[in-house]
Amino acid sequence: MSLLIKLFSPILHLYGVQRCICSTKPFSVVKTIPDVVMMHSDVLISQAREGDRHAQGKLVQLWYKRIYNFSYKFFYDHDLAMEAAQKTFISMHRNIAYLQDAARFRSWLYAIAVNCCREELRKKKGERSVSLSDLRPGEAEDSYTWERSGDRGENPERVLRQTELTDLLQACLTELSEEQREVVIMKEYEGLKFREIAETLNISENTVKSRMYYGLEALKRMFERRKITKETIGYEL
Amino acid sequence: MNYKPDEATLIAYLYGELDSAEQLKVAEYLQKNPEERKRLEEWSFTQSVMARLHDKEVIAPPIIFGEDSNHVPLWKENYFRMSLGIAASLLFFLVAARLLGLSASYSPGELKIGFGMKEKSATQEVPMLTEQQVSKMIQSSVTSNNEALQTSWQQDRKSLEQSIQKNLHSNSLKLDRLMQTTSAASQEQVRTFVGQLQSDNLKLMKDYMQLSAKGQKEYVESLLVDFSKYLDEQRKQDLQFLQARVNKVEQNTDQFKQETEQILTSLITNTSTNNQRRN
Repeated sequence: MSLLIKLFSPILHLYGVQRCICSTKPFSVVKTIPDVVMMHSDVLISQAREGDRHAQGKLVQLWYKRIYNFSYKFFYDHDLAMEAAQKTFISMHRNIAYLQDAARFRSWLYAIAVNCCREELRKKKGERSVSLSDLRPGEAEDSYTWERSGDRGENPERVLRQTELTDLLQACLTELSEEQREVVIMKEYEGLKFREIAETLNISENTVKSRMYYGLEALKRMFERRKITKETIGYEL
Repeated sequence: MNYKPDEATLIAYLYGELDSAEQLKVAEYLQKNPEERKRLEEWSFTQSVMARLHDKEVIAPPIIFGEDSNHVPLWKENYFRMSLGIAASLLFFLVAARLLGLSASYSPGELKIGFGMKEKSATQEVPMLTEQQVSKMIQSSVTSNNEALQTSWQQDRKSLEQSIQKNLHSNSLKLDRLMQTTSAASQEQVRTFVGQLQSDNLKLMKDYMQLSAKGQKEYVESLLVDFSKYLDEQRKQDLQFLQARVNKVEQNTDQFKQETEQILTSLITNTSTNNQRRN
């Protein structure tokens, strides 16, 4: 792994990261170069804190996908996710100067994202009108799900089944309570530690674990209800 | 060993967030408890299913950060806007006052606020008088006033004297006439007047005496009647008293008689018993 880092060190340097080269932190969850940069973006954060707009822009580029996907899984709505992600980064730009500890940037950013998502959800609940984006694609033949296959080289049936599974899982996630959903997304998809989630949500670690426990139990029941078993999943694969 | 991990510990074990010692204990526990192991496997399966939900690819939109939000220009600062607003209001007020001709004045007990130009008074202002002129004017007015008073007093006194003399004259004439009439009355008339007075007095006394004699007689009569009644009553009471005393004496004598009789009988009985004993 250290060899890999040394290989990519010029690229990392371009991202304004110097500490990551000599860092001894494990890279077990690191998948891509931007991920490496994200994990070790202390220099970028410190520059952004000093008002460097270039560094702030870099942070946005690095973290946008994560925050957008967190918001998307929270809402299951592209527009709301975009809105929440944009508000999160605007808030980051306004308040990064007040961030005390650069090591807590991740939990701090997720805390902003959670607040933005909650605010958007409140607004959405307050609105009586239904937007066209709320009309989810159903299982009917005229659904635009059929038109969403990305790679034309893939097996269309497989793509369709994957799309259906994705919709199903996303629907299950949306059925969870707001509190459980936040914890499940942060743990399952964002890879935050329980301590970090507790810090983000400003609650105790045990409460986070308890919410995770009930979230998993609820998801398990939902899968049973929808007959998602090892066999059916195996068939999907 | 009766170790049983709680839900939080199991969840932490599932995500590999336990320290090695605790992890070993939980692993041992799971080996001994297949039901718990099955539950953990189910959670693990749930995790694996949820992992099928992949991230959406998204390109970060260009987010253009404006000027540094912490550095607000002076004209956008709240205090600057407020002071500017106050200054503008004052300026507007002054201009409006100038255009409307606002005037305000204050003197003790009086506040005047007016709009428009002040009208000039129709009467020409009198030039100021000196102190000597004023004193002269006062002096002349005082002397003229005194003279007027003197003349009016003299006229009043003359008219008063005239009226007094006139009254005195008329009164003396009246007195003279009265004296003449009184002296003209005759001796005979005086006698008859006195005689009449005496007879009236006599008659008055007579009536009075008659009335008083009659009253005295009635009073004496009633007094006598009352006295006789009193005597009667007194006699009755005395008689009753005497009667009571006599009755008491009678009772005493009767009692005395009975006692003596009892004594005598006792003596007799004693003597008879003594005689019997002797015999």
